[in-house]
Order: sequence, then C-alpha cells, then structure tokens
Amino acid sequence: MVSARSIPVAPGSLSYTDLPWIVQHREDRCTLCGQCTAVCPKEAIYLAYRRQRMPKLDVLKKSRGNEYRTFVGIRQKTSMANACIGCSMCSMVCPNEAIMPVPNTNEHRTLFFNNQKGEPNKRGGRRNVTGPTLLDQIMFDRISMLTDPALDAGRHEFNVTTTLGRILDPAEYLKRQREGGWIPPTREIFPFIIGSMSFGALSPNMWLGLLQGVAYCNEVLGIPVVIGTGEGGCPPWVLKSPYLKYIILQIASGYFGWDEIIRAIPDMKCNPAAIEIKYGQGAKPGDGGLLMWYKVSKLIARLRGVPEGVDLPSPPVHQTLYSIEESVMKMIQTLSTAFDHKVPIYPKISASTSAKSVLNNLVRNPYAGGLLIDGIDGGTGAAYNVSMDATGHPIASCVRECYLDLIAQGKQNELPIFAAGGVGKNGNVAQNGMALVMLGASGVHIGKYIMQAAAGCLGNEKNRCNVCNVGICPKGITSQNPKLYRRLNPDLVAERVAEIYMSINTEIKKIMAPLGRSQSLPIGMSDALGIADKAAADRLHIKYVC
Amino acid sequence: MSTTVVKGLDEKGHRINSMDFELLVREAAQTTNQIRLETYGQHNIGIRLSHEDGLTIDTQGPSGQRLGCMGMPGTSITCHGAASDDVGYLNIGAEITVLGDATNGVCNAMANGKVFVGGSIGARGLTMTKWNPDYDKPELWVLGSCGDSFAEFNCGGIAVVCGVEAKNPNNVLGYRPCVGMVGGIIYFRGPIDDSYSKTNAKLSQPDDEQWQWLTGQMSEFLTKIGRSELLEHLTIREEWQTLNTITPQERALMFSGPMPMAQFRNQHWNKDLGGDPLRDLSPGLDRSPIEAVPTGDLRRKVPYWANRESAAPCTYYCPVHIPTVDRLRLIREGQIDEAYEMLLNYTPLPGSVCGAICPNLCMQNCSRSGVDESIDIQLLGRSVAHVPSPVMAESSGRKVAIIGGGPAGMNTAWQLAHAGIEAHIFEKDQQIGGKLAQVIPWERLSQAIWDQEIKRFTETKNIHINLGVDLDQAQFKEIEAEFDYVVVAVGTHQPRKIPFPGHEKVIAALDFLKNAKSDQPKQIGKEVVIIGAGNVGCDVACEAYRLGAENVTLVDIQKPLAFGNEKEAAEALGAQFRWPVMTKEVTDEGLVMDTGEVIPAQTVIISIGDVPALKFLPEDVETLTVGGAAWIKTDAGHLTSNSKVLAVGDVEKPGLATHALGAGKTAADYIIAQFKGQDWKPFTKEVITQQALTITHYVPDDHADIHTEEAQAKSCLSCAACRDCHLCETICPTGAISRRELEYSHQSGYESGLGGGYEYVSDDKKCIACGFCADTCPCGIWMIRPL
Repeated sequence: MVSARSIPVAPGSLSYTDLPWIVQHREDRCTLCGQCTAVCPKEAIYLAYRRQRMPKLDVLKKSRGNEYRTFVGIRQKTSMANACIGCSMCSMVCPNEAIMPVPNTNEHRTLFFNNQKGEPNKRGGRRNVTGPTLLDQIMFDRISMLTDPALDAGRHEFNVTTTLGRILDPAEYLKRQREGGWIPPTREIFPFIIGSMSFGALSPNMWLGLLQGVAYCNEVLGIPVVIGTGEGGCPPWVLKSPYLKYIILQIASGYFGWDEIIRAIPDMKCNPAAIEIKYGQGAKPGDGGLLMWYKVSKLIARLRGVPEGVDLPSPPVHQTLYSIEESVMKMIQTLSTAFDHKVPIYPKISASTSAKSVLNNLVRNPYAGGLLIDGIDGGTGAAYNVSMDATGHPIASCVRECYLDLIAQGKQNELPIFAAGGVGKNGNVAQNGMALVMLGASGVHIGKYIMQAAAGCLGNEKNRCNVCNVGICPKGITSQNPKLYRRLNPDLVAERVAEIYMSINTEIKKIMAPLGRSQSLPIGMSDALGIADKAAADRLHIKYVC
Repeated sequence: MSTTVVKGLDEKGHRINSMDFELLVREAAQTTNQIRLETYGQHNIGIRLSHEDGLTIDTQGPSGQRLGCMGMPGTSITCHGAASDDVGYLNIGAEITVLGDATNGVCNAMANGKVFVGGSIGARGLTMTKWNPDYDKPELWVLGSCGDSFAEFNCGGIAVVCGVEAKNPNNVLGYRPCVGMVGGIIYFRGPIDDSYSKTNAKLSQPDDEQWQWLTGQMSEFLTKIGRSELLEHLTIREEWQTLNTITPQERALMFSGPMPMAQFRNQHWNKDLGGDPLRDLSPGLDRSPIEAVPTGDLRRKVPYWANRESAAPCTYYCPVHIPTVDRLRLIREGQIDEAYEMLLNYTPLPGSVCGAICPNLCMQNCSRSGVDESIDIQLLGRSVAHVPSPVMAESSGRKVAIIGGGPAGMNTAWQLAHAGIEAHIFEKDQQIGGKLAQVIPWERLSQAIWDQEIKRFTETKNIHINLGVDLDQAQFKEIEAEFDYVVVAVGTHQPRKIPFPGHEKVIAALDFLKNAKSDQPKQIGKEVVIIGAGNVGCDVACEAYRLGAENVTLVDIQKPLAFGNEKEAAEALGAQFRWPVMTKEVTDEGLVMDTGEVIPAQTVIISIGDVPALKFLPEDVETLTVGGAAWIKTDAGHLTSNSKVLAVGDVEKPGLATHALGAGKTAADYIIAQFKGQDWKPFTKEVITQQALTITHYVPDDHADIHTEEAQAKSCLSCAACRDCHLCETICPTGAISRRELEYSHQSGYESGLGGGYEYVSDDKKCIACGFCADTCPCGIWMIRPL
C-alpha cells in the first residue's frame, strides 16, 4: 500500500515546476557529501528520502504484495522563502558535478507570489531586461583608413584621462590667474570611475578590496582610477590615509557617516578626489537609498551613527531642500567651502526628462564641478522591483540631450557630464563607456560591472541571485555577515580591479586608435558613431548605418 | 670577373629613374658579380639580386630608400655614405653595410642577413623582424645610437648598439623600445631612459655565452665599417647590457601588473593605513579569508539534538497527555509491566476510556497514518484494565475533598492518592463513575472492564468514597474548613429543556439514559423522536431500540453534530436523521414541526445537553453564565476564584470523558505542587511537526491488521523521542556525529526504559552543518538552528 498523503492546496501552493530555478540533481553522481546543502544561501535544498512501491505484478504467480525501495537525493523546497535563486553555489562546491540549478523556461508562478505579507518584491541587482542594450549596438564607424596618421593602440602613447571639475573658459582662466581669482579645482582621472556603492551595501572585504585595487591602479599601474564611497560614509582611517585622493565622498539624503568625515577633516593628509551630492539614482529614481536591517551590523551601525539592526531608508529628497536653486546654493557651496574650494563638487541625479533643468542650473553655478546622470539600467543593493524595472530613463538619450544643450550654449568644454547606468551590462564595458563618451559624457561610472568582474557577483538580469538586499550574498560581496564576507579575499578583489583597469585602458586605446585620436578622450565625437537603428540614430543625432 | 659600373645619371646628366636603374643593375648582375653603383637617390638598390658566385655591390653617392631591399643570401652591399629609410627592408640574407647614418626603419621585416651601420639609425629600427629556425637570426649592428620606437614587434632580430658617437648620448635606444617584442635580443652600451616596454622586455647583462658571441662578432663589424681601432674600447664587459624578450609564459606569471598584490598590501596598503583600516570601528575584527563550507564557529547554522523537547502527536493531543510513544518504547524494550505501570500513572480508567468510549484524539494525528495506519490505542487501553493498581505512597496526612465521583473527580483522587494525599470523594449517586456509570450504554462500555477498573479504583489506598451525599452551601463550607483543598467535579446533571407547548411530555435524555441503564427500565413507545442529534442523542437512539422502539428519528435545527462510533451505531440500528427541524409543540401524536408536519411518536426525548447544578456552591466561587447556565470559572491549574477550591470536568465546560480525566490530573498536579512548595508548570511542549519526521524510512506493513501490543510497538515512529537507530551517525558525511553514554539516575522502573542513558552529539570541528542529520532523523530529533 501507499500512504494516503493528504496535501492541502492553498492559493500560494507551488510545485517545483513553478519555481524560477529548478534544481537538477543526479543521484548517480552524488556522493552525499553535504557541501551543497551546507552552502546554499536560501536553504533551498535538502536531503530527501523517497520511497518507491514495486508491486509484484506477475500474472502467472500467485504471490502478491509489494516491495519497497528507499532512495535518497537532493531536492528543493517549494516555499517562497526557500525558493532557489539560481546562484549555483551548490554546483560550485559539488565535487561530482551532480547538482545545478537550471532556469525554468516556462513562466514561473513565483512572479505572482513575491508579495508575501503585502510587502512588494524588493531585491538587489538591476532592471531585469536581457539582451543587447542600446549602447551595445553603437558602432565606432569612422575609421582612419590611410586618411589620417594610423595609430597603434599597443605602440603609441595615448592620453585617456578626463577632467573632473569645472573648466573655465580660457579668457576667464587667464584673467583669474592674472588677478589671483579662484580657479575651480579639477582632477585628471581615468574616465571609468567605480561608482558609488556604500560601505554597508558592500561588505567590508569588498569595499576595502576595491579601494586597495584602486590604490594599486594609481600607485603601481599609473592608471588614475577613482572610486565613489556611496552614502555609507568612509572608515576614519581611510579618510586619514593618502588614499583619500582616490575617493569621491558621497553625501546623500541619509547623511550616513558624515560626522566621521567632518571629524576627520583636520587630520586629512590630502583632499578627496571630489564630493558627490546624491539627489537621485538610476535604479530607483525618486526613491531614496535603502539598507535593509539584515545588513545593519554592529560595524555598519557604528560607522553610520545609527542603531544596530534597523532598516535604513534614506528619504527620496534632501529633507530641507525644496528647489534646484536652493539645493545648489546650500549644498554645493557648503561642501565646496568645507574643503577650501579645492575639491570639485558635483551632483548625481537620476536620468530623467527633467535632467536638463538641473544641468542648466549648474551651468550658471560657479561652484558646480560637473553633473553625474544615472540611467535606468543602474544597479542597486536594495530597491522595490517596480522601481528598478519600470521607473527611470535610459542613459544614452538623456546624456546626449544634455550634451547638445551644452553645445548650444557653448559650454561643452566647461561643465563635464558623467554618465552611469548599465555600462558593461553585457560585459562590453569599454565599448559602452566609450559610446557614452562620444555621445558627450566626460566619463562613466561602473558599479554592477565591477561587482561582477572584480568579485564574481552572480547576479544577472534573469533575476539570478539578486539577494543583495537581505545580506545573504553567497560570494560575500554584499553581506555584512563575516561568515559570508570572509569568503571574499580582498587581495583577490584588488588584483581583479587591477586586471580590469589594465584591460579597459587597452580597450580604450583600441577604440581610440582607429579614430585617429590619441591625445584626448573623444568626448562628444559623435561623428564616429553609427547605429543600425534609424529611430535611435535620429534621437541621438548620430549616423544610421546598415 | 671585372667590376661593372652602373651610373645613376644619364649622358645628359639627368637622374635615371629607379625603375630603369634597377633594370640596368639587374643586367649588370647577370654578367658580373662585382658591381659598383654611382647612385643618385635611386630606391630599392640590390632588390632580390644574387649571383651564383656571390654578388658584391658597392654604392657611392646618395642612396635612396630601401637599400638592400629583399636582399638575397650571398649578396653583400656596401653604402659608402648615409642611407635613407628602410635599409634591409624584407632582407632574407644579404649583408648590408652602411658606413654613414641610416634613417628610419632599418631592418624593417628583415628575416635573415646582417645590417652594419657605421653611424646611428633613425626611428623604428629593427621592427617586424622575423626568424625562420632553418636560418640564422637577422642581425643589426649600429655603432652609434637608435631613434625612437626601436625593435617594435621584434621577432628574431639580434641588435648590437654600441653607443659610440651617439646622436643622443643620454639615451642610445631612443624612446619606448621593444613594444610588442616577442623574440630576439638587444645588446647595448650606454644609457637608456628606462622607457622600454616592461611587459615585453627585461633588462639584463650578457651571460658568458652571449658575451663570447658579442666579442667574437665585434671585430668583423668594426672591420666592415672601418673602425677596428675601437675593438678594445667596445669589449669592456661591464659596459654592456641586454634587453631580453619576456615570453608570454613569463608574462602570465607576472600577474596583474608589475607588482604582486601581496607585496603591494604589505609595503603600501598596510603602511599607508597604519594597519587594519577598521581597527577603530571594530577592534579585533577578523576578516581573513575562509572557505565556502567551513566547520566550527564559522558555520552559519548548527545541528541540535532536541530529544524529547517537543511532544509526539499522541502525547500532545491527548487531554491527559499520556505519552503513548513512551509506552510503546517500553514494550519494544520488553518492559511490559513498566509499560502498564506508566499508563496507570496517568489514568485510573485506561480500559474504559482509552480502550472503549474515547474518540482517541491521540490517534487522530498519529504519524504512523502517513505510512499505513495509526496505532491501535483501544487495544492498548483494554490491555491495562486487568492490571493491578500501582503502589501508592504512604499517606502524608494531607486531605483533599472531591465533590463528585465522575471521571474528573476520580482522576483527581487517583493522582492525589499516588502522591500520598488522602482523597475523599463525596458522590451524590449510589455509585461512582458519573455519567460513564449512569448513562453510557453497556454496548459501548463493557461492564466487565468497567467493574474491574472501578474495583481497582475503590480498593486503592488513600482513596475514601462517600456515596449518597447531596451537599448544600453550609455543608460545603464545613468541608472547605476541614480539608486542605476542595475540588468541585460535579459535572452536569441538570438537563436543558425548551418551554414549547407540551414540553412536560418530553423526557430528558439524561433521565432516559439513567433509567435505561437501571435494573428496571420503563416501557417506551414504538415510535420515538429525539430532539437534538448529537452523540448523546445517538446513545439515546440505541438505548431506545434496545428497549423496544421500532422507529427512531433524531431531529435537529442544524446539521447533526453526531460523529464516530455513536453515530455509526445509531445509523446501523435504523435511526433516521432529519434537519433542519423546528419544534412547534409536542402532542400525544408526536412532534409537531413549525411547518405543521407531525412526526409521529409515543415517546419524545430531548437531548440538547445538560448544565451544572450548583446550588451548594458558595458565592466566593465565581461562575460564568453561558447559554443561560452557570459554569465555574477556573484558571489553567483549575483553581477557582477561591484559592482553596478547584473545579474540574464538565462543570467548567462540557467535554469528553478524556477531557475530564485530563482536568483531574492537572488539578491534582497543581495541588501536589502546592503541597511540595513547588511551582506548578502546565504542559507546554509543542507538538512535533510532520515535516520534522522522516517517515520514508518505514515501509507500509501489508499485514497491519495484526493487532498485538508488540505489533503496535513495532509500528510506532517514536515521534520526538530518539529511538537510538544510529541513522544520523551513519548519514553524517563528515563523521561528526557519535553516540555517547550518559550517567542516568533511573536504573529501574519505567523511566529506565525511556532512553535517558545516552545522547548523540555532533563534533563542531567536523560538522559542516549540511543538515543531513535533521533531514534523515526518523524521529525529528535533530534540528538545524542558526549560529
């Protein structure tokens, strides 16, 4: 006999075929070592005992009855809380290639149940849209074929840095030099900036590993990479170190960690690279930062000046600022003064149809050192899915419009625009970044790409992993649990940062050399761009090619 | 052979173009192997020319571009002045000597042969050279210095740069030499600017073999360019250095840059930060790398052996919390007598209640039903009916009065008697047992078993029974003063009635059943209607049939609540259920419904429940009025508002006999704790979940119909109590789990058979927290908890 199992079926009852990832397990290979169930961040898999009934069905024999076979295997749980996220850590630790999650090719039911207890789906990662991005489709089509001096990326010397900070027009510059007037600070930096990921969003080992890599790029490789802190503050000993000059400190509506920054000012050995004032973020425009309670460890609470284990949402706007004018007046001027007007100050906003308003205000503000625009494909450690997937504006046309607006005012060489949001989404980091540069950006910020390339972040736009928000990152990149983040060796992260920048450095040259350009970054060199999409070509004012 | 002279100017003194000049030179080479050229800037001199006896070309005058271009083996070309670009371009063997300077591109793409330059060379020398292993490597000898971008993509070329009369004495190799160099070697003498490509070339000194080669070849070079006097000057070993090719394999080992990261961390990072950058925020924080699957304190979760920390379903759902799981374990251990003793510690009526009338809540959630069938608890109950009473403790002199001798009062007395407390029962009826004795038909409760259990009870030490005592308030007060505690267990013996017309013709079910069970039951009609179709109504129906009724109808205003044995028995006898039925009145014809329909009956019985009769109860015992009747208010320990008075059983709220037994045991436990001066603790164990058990280890028993105590014991899954099966020890992939013997105080008695003498432990040093123990444990003992 087989037991009459009583299976209650509720609206939210799921079978394993309803899950986004199906764990395939091969019993013939499994050695029952327990590594997979030990490592699984979701406790999604377990050792299952199964019983098989084998009735004696020989028609010619009188003997009747059943025999039973019990067998074991690794099975997945079907509750939402334990649904497999496809991270594949099980496959990574399996000694026998016996287990792997495969994406469910059918649409899966968890889409309809990821709002448990009335709480909409929150996650990390970025907009879950796969396939080539618009940036991926842009071609650099103006090649120097015997028409210009041929350049060789491997042989010739290139100047690939960009300027962060306001550049005065020559007449004004000379006048101020002559008269001893204030000359706005600028920095010559590598145009691929490690974007703002906070100490808190990232684990200590990840954050410090990245900084170590940045320091290596500058001091050993001579590549002047800078890195943004995000809004979680900066460890005081880092503030007091010579590495501060490679760091863009961010001030955001949560003001986390700024007491430590101000406290450290008298002890700073050098100035920071810049100050970034965050007004918006591409992944969740109109929504503030969010560090969920899982990640507010004792260390994070200490640095941020908050209680341990609480949710830390930042308001969508700075609480006492009510207009662009006021924001610019209050914050840019105050922060510029704090660092003796020797540090470039620039705002970061979400890409939006209103970006030009901000830009035009900044053009008229003598203290503004640039504008960073973050597009819809930007990543985040935690956001509502609906904000991430549906809210925002792609970066390309936003940057392009802003740049063309600067051109119309003759200011394109004065106020640098930086772009972010989806650069390197499909791995084409240099190509994406240089396309944005040629559309008018002075440089780009990369965050998610760095997590993927430097630390092996497993997240993707098929919603693999993407659990950064709850602090269970299986690679230790976004967790504040030392048992997880100690999986990440900061030295290895730093090494990868160095490798990535050596490679981007070469690829930039490989892109610039055929253009016949070596001595300055081809900012706004849109005559070198083509795209096989007429509508996009028209919108971006670049060539349609086919 | 004589020397043929070819002039670069025609008779009119005009320059002959390169195309015509090359034809002239080629013609000359067919007739002679000694050619002297008086060139006038013609290009490609000596291009792919050879002679079987070797060809010598001397050029005087200005040379054009690509002197010695595509030079062939055996051909030697000497230029007596300076040469223009690309000397030796694509040379595959010619020996080319330029006594003056050569401009850009010397030896471009040369694969074999030698180029000697008596002066200096321009930019991009020795670029794109090749080396075919069947031939010697191409060589470039330069007395002076090189221009920028020297030896780019050099593949096989050997260069010797002597630094004599250098164009740039501070940098004899020019700016950024060796970019993309994949082979060959550069010997040089003199300063350089350190701009050579570090990923392609490494600086060194010539080794012995290289030095021997260099000095061996030097005199030939100097002879060729007519500077033999420099030999001694140019063979001072300390003055020479080499740039050697870095192989891709070596480059791969150089790792992500010129400095290993560990070195950077130690020499720069740690120094610049003065130590761990988080030392002030989090002193002593260990961030050193760990494996993905660690042991010990680095695990995120740990196994925990929660033996007996939750309750088996049988224990949990039984109102008396009888640990049937333990009893079956004792049977498996062969401790049959101890198993009986243990059960009698919980109830005086196992045969009558567990074994007969109880709906057995314990078994409604038996885990075994997930395999085949639940344990047969009735069998287990009946088998204890004949077992003598356990030994009672000697009387301590404490006295408790129990008002009412039904199941609730009986178990209170039974438990107190065990503990050596005198239990005095005051029963209104002439027998104890309450409704079990008075109204439950003998069909459902075997009289033999009942009598046996009542006998065992009444003969038990410390129990004193007073029959026929009907108390009033004054008597109650006297008892309250005389005894340490008073326990009210009077049940419900006042039938509910409804005042519809003719209600005086209606018999209460309680009265009917009591009468039916008496020695001389009264006659009843052939047609009987019972108002109220609950389980008592069903008992009434059965008794009515027994007493001669032919047609019994149970009516109710709602869907009948009857269930189980009672309902089945009534239906088997032919009882009809009708609902909804609203009674308008009862006449001699029978029951008249509000619709006017008449259900004919000579006897109408009402069975809508009984309520407590509490006329004796003093005012300081608070009651609660529900449904028009007063019920005694109690707390979890069954204490009333009077701290000397407790109440148990139906008098609190109506329930099953087993609820009454449970209440009696709890109240007794409370009183015993008070006497001992201990805190009384209610039963708080959680029931173990089905998911915690692994029932797949058990195979369905095709012969589950064999009902013996031993067979039941074998079937038990031992929920929440370790059965010592060693499966955890076996499945644990890291060998972390082991069994350990414990010091155990119970060497005899039933406690000795409950498995307290061992435990399973997991070694933190070996455990990886895979959870296999929890996933395997058949009893649900191992669980995984966060660490």
